[in-house]
Amino acid sequence: MTVGYRVGIDVGGTFTDLICVTPAGEVVLDKTPTTPEDQSIGVMNGLALLAERFACSLHELCAQLDIVVHGTTTADNTMIEMNGAPTGLLVTKGHRDEIEMRRVHKEQIWDPSYPAPPPIARRRARIPIPERMNHEGRVLLPLDEEAVRAGVRRLRHLGVESIAIMFLFSFVNPEHERRAAEIVREEFPDVSHVSLSHEVMARGPEFERVSTTLVNAYVAPRIAAYVDQLQEKLRDAGYAGQLLIMQSTGGVMPPDYVARRAVTLLASGPTGGVMGATLAAKRAGIDDFVAVDMGGTSFDLALVRGGRPEIKTDWNWRYRYYIGLPMVDVQSVGAGGGSIARVRQGALLVGPDSAGSAPGPVSYGRGGDRPTVTDADAVLGYLPEDGFAGGRMTLDVEAARAAIERDAAAALGVDVVEAAWGIERIVNANMANATRRVLAAHGADPRTLAFIAYGGNGAVHAWAIAAELGIHRVLVPRAAPAFSALGVLVADYVVDLVRSYVVPLSQVDLERMRSLAHEVHDEARKEMEPAGLADDATTVELFAQMCYPGQNFDMSVPLPEGETLAESDLLELAERFHTQHERDRGFCFRNQQPLVRGVRLVARSETPKPDHFAETGTVLDPSAALKGHRDAYFGVAFVATPVYDGPALAPGCTISGPALIEEPFTVVVIPPGATATLDTAGNYELTLG
Amino acid sequence: MHVDLVQLAGSRGRLSEAPSVDQVTAEVIRGAMETICFEMAVYVSRTATTPILNQSNERNATILDAQGRLAALSVGIPQFMLTSTLPVRFALDFLGPEEFHEGDVFVANDPYHGGGHLPDYNVFAPVFADDGNGGRRMVLIASIQCHHGDTGGGVPGGYNVTATDVWGEGVRWPVLKVIDRGVERRDVLYALQANNRIPSYIGDIRAQMGAAQLAADRLGDVVARYGTVTVEESVDYTIDYAARRFREEVAAWPDGVYEADAYVDHDPLGNPDIHLHVKITVDGDRLTIDYSGSDERPEIQAWSTFGNTRGYTIGQIASMMDPEIPKNEGFFDQIDLVVPAGCVLNPSPGKPVSAGTHHPGADVGEVIAVAMQDVLPDKAVPQSYKTGIPTIIVGTDPVTGTQFTDHSAEVYAGWCNAARGMDAWGAQNASFGNLWKATAEINESLYPHIQWERDYRVDSGGPGQWRGLCGSHYEKEVCVDAKVYTYVVGMKYPMPGICGGLAGEPNKMVIRHGSADPFTVRHTADWVPIAAGERIMYDYGGGGGWGDPLERNPHAVLDDVLDEYVSTEGARRDYGVVLTGSLADLTLAVDHDATEALRSERRGASGA
Repeated sequence: MTVGYRVGIDVGGTFTDLICVTPAGEVVLDKTPTTPEDQSIGVMNGLALLAERFACSLHELCAQLDIVVHGTTTADNTMIEMNGAPTGLLVTKGHRDEIEMRRVHKEQIWDPSYPAPPPIARRRARIPIPERMNHEGRVLLPLDEEAVRAGVRRLRHLGVESIAIMFLFSFVNPEHERRAAEIVREEFPDVSHVSLSHEVMARGPEFERVSTTLVNAYVAPRIAAYVDQLQEKLRDAGYAGQLLIMQSTGGVMPPDYVARRAVTLLASGPTGGVMGATLAAKRAGIDDFVAVDMGGTSFDLALVRGGRPEIKTDWNWRYRYYIGLPMVDVQSVGAGGGSIARVRQGALLVGPDSAGSAPGPVSYGRGGDRPTVTDADAVLGYLPEDGFAGGRMTLDVEAARAAIERDAAAALGVDVVEAAWGIERIVNANMANATRRVLAAHGADPRTLAFIAYGGNGAVHAWAIAAELGIHRVLVPRAAPAFSALGVLVADYVVDLVRSYVVPLSQVDLERMRSLAHEVHDEARKEMEPAGLADDATTVELFAQMCYPGQNFDMSVPLPEGETLAESDLLELAERFHTQHERDRGFCFRNQQPLVRGVRLVARSETPKPDHFAETGTVLDPSAALKGHRDAYFGVAFVATPVYDGPALAPGCTISGPALIEEPFTVVVIPPGATATLDTAGNYELTLG
Repeated sequence: MHVDLVQLAGSRGRLSEAPSVDQVTAEVIRGAMETICFEMAVYVSRTATTPILNQSNERNATILDAQGRLAALSVGIPQFMLTSTLPVRFALDFLGPEEFHEGDVFVANDPYHGGGHLPDYNVFAPVFADDGNGGRRMVLIASIQCHHGDTGGGVPGGYNVTATDVWGEGVRWPVLKVIDRGVERRDVLYALQANNRIPSYIGDIRAQMGAAQLAADRLGDVVARYGTVTVEESVDYTIDYAARRFREEVAAWPDGVYEADAYVDHDPLGNPDIHLHVKITVDGDRLTIDYSGSDERPEIQAWSTFGNTRGYTIGQIASMMDPEIPKNEGFFDQIDLVVPAGCVLNPSPGKPVSAGTHHPGADVGEVIAVAMQDVLPDKAVPQSYKTGIPTIIVGTDPVTGTQFTDHSAEVYAGWCNAARGMDAWGAQNASFGNLWKATAEINESLYPHIQWERDYRVDSGGPGQWRGLCGSHYEKEVCVDAKVYTYVVGMKYPMPGICGGLAGEPNKMVIRHGSADPFTVRHTADWVPIAAGERIMYDYGGGGGWGDPLERNPHAVLDDVLDEYVSTEGARRDYGVVLTGSLADLTLAVDHDATEALRSERRGASGA
């Protein structure tokens, strides 16, 4: 088989980004406006743009495509707009209201008027079903099948299209959920979707599971419809290969898998960027780093250690619902180029309100009249007045200055430069504090990490945030503008499965552990098969989920013994857990008997990766790429700062700060005392003094 | 051994005459301090082993200046946090700053030396930095307070609600140095361990010690970076800012004197009608809260210490102001608080306080909200509750053969009032939003019981133009013979309605529910036996409504009936809304004419 084109397509809020690796290994980036009403239109527009660049027809290009990998925000948009399928719930009687009680959690503890989350299934569409298992999976109360039938009829009557089923301890014994699902199909043959809680999230506790299952049932019909549409368009255009979709675990899977587990698409957007950063870091020899994406409205960050993004299995709240599945731990705060600065009650505040891309910052001249971070960047001289945003835009610096004077400087009693610098300091401190909070949750010290910045504003602010955190090594990839698409393209196939089994290690039933291991292996194989992945292309890691009695979170401890687990292995498993606990948490209790809480399997199949991510220029002596000088401010006074043409620079070229390197969609800011070197993969590596 | 807590809580001097620090620097330093508080709290979650510490979020991290003024905090539960500065102040006053050294860590838990109740352990560590003269001096103090599952005393769990004095409730540690200049005091740690029933207790104290040390290190970095004087000026700046914002809020409230009364059904001994009285004076930008006239009967068992009363007072006031005002000394210091010594809200030393922490402690939120409802109708949402104490079940675990103590720290809904423009929702008041309680699939794996029911009960939310939250109907079957210890209030005095809203349904608890020999709790259950297979039933009370229920949109009432928060009869009885059709057939509709007629008749009747 000859090697064809490989395409990654990531849909963002404003632009759909594309990255294409040609048969010759060349990397091509492009962007096309996102089409919010139907994202597949933008996807096809993007492919047409690529075909144009390769001087062939869309059909010719599609016929030569090896693979199309896609990141979509359809699931997120469904939750933002709350326009998912009308959804009903069948739930163990007595536990109908878990989803409203939320384990007592409310987001705003000081505000008694903070409203309830918008409901997915109102109480009338949550049908209590008499049935009950105990924690060992023994039936305490048989399933009342008549109640299920009556409940389904009621849900039909209410206009429900999608049904979630959540029974207590179904992850230990799924019999009642399975039987209820059969009855649903009998009573309601054209139901568009049924989510069984033990399939969506095979573990307790019930609030987390019912929340996850409801979200899955709510978004699944929308995802299925979208993916069908896209596949049809691709087929019509002549593409015969596999479509793969990005998930929030950082892996990709085929459409029929993600249509059943639609909830795994939620928050997958920022994950692509993290996967791209992980690859770029690997090429640069960096294993431990913070990946930050500073765009127009938000600052997303993730911690990567040992070359792998940290996965978060707990406390994943999205759109006010709890998602109890492992996700790449991407945290988001309202800090971006569009974040609005204002003085309230004598205090300068920046964000979380954002002018976004419309109306945008004042300096864009598109009707925005409130000063933003980008306006402060412009006033301080970091951004070019002409040639901004790929040469399509000029910045109105005077308007930015006037807005900062009016809304910030006057109220603070300082001059406009000091006010602009204040905006920088506040937004940079907010981002640094958000980063520290994420690192604290993982027990990581920022001073031991590198920093990888992307997104439209990442290159402008990277140095300041890194300095605030005490980080000295900063990487700014040239492919940053399309980094999410790169991440989507290079992501591996990943299946991540958990089976619950709560038992003190000393009382483990070996037969049950072995059969659970067999079960997850079997399921992973089934999931991988449609992707055309042979067993030998796949690496499988098996873990025991363990904790000390009383702890609230599990640790994944390698369990390579799997289906051959023997009595004699258990002591070693305990020791592995203690050691890992000491490494990750700083202490262990060797005299305590650990608790097993389940078995987890991660199956991964690698995709081919390009060796560079952006084409570079040929100029090794930076003076040959000098475009001129601009006055820029770094906290003391304006200094005449050299401006370089980024695309002209060759790998190995080094530039000393203060300096500004202009790229088509961003500016890399090099402060005084720092240096930047372009590496062969197309990354600027900053060393802060 | 009498410490004047009112004096301990009094105003303390500022650090600088007129801070010259710029606002942005002060803001950046405040952000760093709040982040460090968060890091302290997360450290405890990551390293503690007991569920009450690592799951419930009952942990409060604070940073104080060297005078004992609150500079920043990351709060667990608002009402519980605000007691955490006073134990540090006691240590400062008693030991003197000369006994605070770099590398020290202290522990304290005593209610009569600034604490709330004995299970709340404060761990704190000083931060030293350059004094500008080549020496080092104390600049800040990092403190982390957590609620522990035991504290010695007559009853496991820290709630000995039949104790006759504070000594019967547990062991008292006014202040102990557990690390002396970086060296662990093994004798002291051993004594702490020996005075607690729970083996993992000392590990949890160590988690707090680690958190305080981490914060001291991080704060040391911040002070080194910005300079001692700049940090001190920033603390002053932020405190001044909160004080100014607080006064601006008060200035916007109508001047006047507002009074109200509230009652707790009884103390655990059955002494009835524990009385709270408040007189709130708004005079320009000054706010005085005076509890004179509150109960002083010496035979009462449940007392709220001054620190506890102050904490709940500030928690309630904070909920009535702009949520973004920083909660620091500037906020605390602006309330003139009058709590006569010897009343239930400021007991004389030695009185038992474990039950009083909750009642009458929490009830100050209710009495303040009731007093202010006419002038602050938008803000009068009591951040209180009617919990009594958690239900404690002890028995023998059939698997391990050892004794288990089930604190029933499970989710239930109750006592959440409506706010103007918003029906109450969730499980508890906003101020409990940081709690994270256990559910059936967690606790049934840990304790031998089955949680059969936990749903909202129909018609239990207080009717109003906006509806109070329904309480839940809770049924728990024990799988082994056991004994139950608890204290129940809110049966005679449920959550009140506000601005014409009606009260929520009261609490009701029955042990051995459905058996031939049910035990209905009158005030306490003092180790009431329950047999395997029998049930505990707890109907939790609802929240109060806001505004006249006859003003509620009839379609909202219809929605409530369809969702079974309200019954068809309740719609008619409580809201004057007449529905036609059937709930079972989903054919319900509002009969507008009949509704209008019924409402007119009701209004006429009430007007007459």
